[in-house]
Amino acid sequence: MNDFLINWMANAPVTAVPYALAALGLIVSERSGVLNLTAEGLMLIGALAGAGTCLTLGGHPAIALLAAMAAASLVSLLFAGLVVVLRINQVIAGLAVVFFCQGFTGLIGTLAKWQNKQLTGLAPLKLWPLSEIPAVGRILFTQDPIVYLTVLIFIAVSFLLFRTMLGLRIRAVGENPAAADAAGTSVVLHRILAIVAGSSLIGLAGGYISVVSVKLWVTGMTGGRGWIAVALVVFARWAPWPALWGALLFGCIEALIPHVAAAGIRVPQYLMLMTPYLATLAVMIWVGAKDRSGGREPGALGQPHVREERR
Amino acid sequence: MHDRLRQPAIPMTPPAVTTTPRRFGRLTLDVRQNVSPWKQAAFVGGSLLIGLVVSVAILAVTGIPPLTLGSELAGVLVAENLRGVLIQAAPLILVGLGASLAFRIGFWNLGIEGQMVFGGIFAAAISIYDIGPPATRLVLMGTAAAIGGMLWVLLAAFLKTRFRVNEIIATLLLNYIAMYFLFHLLYGTWQDAKTAFPQSSPFRPFERLTDIAGGVNSGLLIAIAGVLAAGWLIHLSRIGFYTRFISANPRMARIVNIPVQAVTMSIIAASGACAGLAGFINIASQEGRLTQSFSNGYVFSGVLIAFLSRNDPIVVAVVGFLIAVLFITGQTLQVFYQIPFTMVQMIEAIIVIAVASSEFLIRHRIRWIR
Repeated sequence: MNDFLINWMANAPVTAVPYALAALGLIVSERSGVLNLTAEGLMLIGALAGAGTCLTLGGHPAIALLAAMAAASLVSLLFAGLVVVLRINQVIAGLAVVFFCQGFTGLIGTLAKWQNKQLTGLAPLKLWPLSEIPAVGRILFTQDPIVYLTVLIFIAVSFLLFRTMLGLRIRAVGENPAAADAAGTSVVLHRILAIVAGSSLIGLAGGYISVVSVKLWVTGMTGGRGWIAVALVVFARWAPWPALWGALLFGCIEALIPHVAAAGIRVPQYLMLMTPYLATLAVMIWVGAKDRSGGREPGALGQPHVREERR
Repeated sequence: MHDRLRQPAIPMTPPAVTTTPRRFGRLTLDVRQNVSPWKQAAFVGGSLLIGLVVSVAILAVTGIPPLTLGSELAGVLVAENLRGVLIQAAPLILVGLGASLAFRIGFWNLGIEGQMVFGGIFAAAISIYDIGPPATRLVLMGTAAAIGGMLWVLLAAFLKTRFRVNEIIATLLLNYIAMYFLFHLLYGTWQDAKTAFPQSSPFRPFERLTDIAGGVNSGLLIAIAGVLAAGWLIHLSRIGFYTRFISANPRMARIVNIPVQAVTMSIIAASGACAGLAGFINIASQEGRLTQSFSNGYVFSGVLIAFLSRNDPIVVAVVGFLIAVLFITGQTLQVFYQIPFTMVQMIEAIIVIAVASSEFLIRHRIRWIR
């Protein structure tokens, strides 16, 4: 039983990282006032780009992950153009981009024959003296580099968003675009920047799934994790650190699934696979029941900004 | 110093206006007040055309020569394939109705696949547990499917009204939950004992939708009945009037004593019932049994059809038919060029993006100022 617990805890960060990074990316773009539903699609783009780079260039996983970030940022320009420049309904645009990405990645993955091919991937680090500590060493100090990098990214993004001028401008654009515009901040520019920057993190989350944790490309492999990340943002009230804890919670739930089966506990397999989605719903219900005030979502979330337009 | 003093304090003649011509002009946007329907149609049509050209270009890059694409498309409309299109149109029209009804009341029902799954499960349960006499079996299955879809969407609606859970997230998550529940049944108690495939044992002949005159599947009749019912509901009935009132001004609707909650819930329930019926048609016509993937890809088709038809039930029928042509073309391409079916989804997304962009041109005039 002790072994079971340690194995479970040691796997939790690996399953938590995609949720954490995707949620953080969504927080960055939603803080600028854009309701971003594209996570599921952009994670797929990242996963495909990462796997494809690994298979074709055979290079270092770091290059694959950078390619994943770049690809997702590139595709997010489409979304940014639709919602920021053309001011299309953000829900429709987000859905269209998700379904475009699902179709596109399925098409490319099949045509390039990347489906189900083993990748070299990224090996976990062994931080030598620390990793030898019983239990704690196995859980905290034998993870892959991206797990540690994720914590650094969270520190950096929180700093950027809440301690710098750029972060202030992005949040101002999200809270009250008319006021920000009057103060000389370009709403269009900051929103596009926030979407593209956030999407690179979402791409990294997808690349992490294919290159680091699963080491395969399978059509539709993100399997709804993007939607869970969207829910996680609501749960975290658009703040980075609660999103990290939430991601860890979902990571723990998801990591439990293979371990329960491996431990020989007889639970119906497919009912077990439902648990992340049920847990997300449960968390959403809890958030809704707990918080009657309407939460602290960015003031202009979901509204396109048109200069001089009367509302 | 002296030179400056010699100049008069106020120049007698104003200095010549030196206009340095600006190198670049700039784009400005004007909001159009009203656009004639013809111009609107032209913008939408033009954007649609651009979307299709982009789709064809992507297919050409992936290895399908555009010219054969034309003949494929023509081939789909040949009598034999037209039957396939009509069969495919029925579930598509129903999911389009489902999406458009919900969107009319401002409820983002993205759980159509889950509702189809539960419609299918309820209908299959009637068959598997052998409920009712054979003569009424199909009616029972259809009713059960509608109830199944309705219950699954009302769960999301309940979560929204009671716990303020965003319905976009809730319905999408419920899709995955429904899918895994289906897998649980198909890999478990409902598995076909004979083949040991993850699917139910086949329905008996009286439990299947049969062809009626001219190769038209009776599923299409259900879809047409649905279109007429929804058209009546939206355009002629009191509920339709209330729906327009509520979506235009919910606070006012409450003040003048319109039963907002009841109307909202019944429209959402109707939306789920349509999706459930679509699930029933899919399992009771072509498949003839409960399978793993009978609901795949219908969420976005529903959204697309609702979006293109501007949530009008009558237009849904036309658009649903056109999307069925796209589906069947996709299936033929899948067979001949090993193109995955996800391609259809991608083309649908491109069409939505194109048509949504036309909205911008309809509402704004772009001018180039120098």
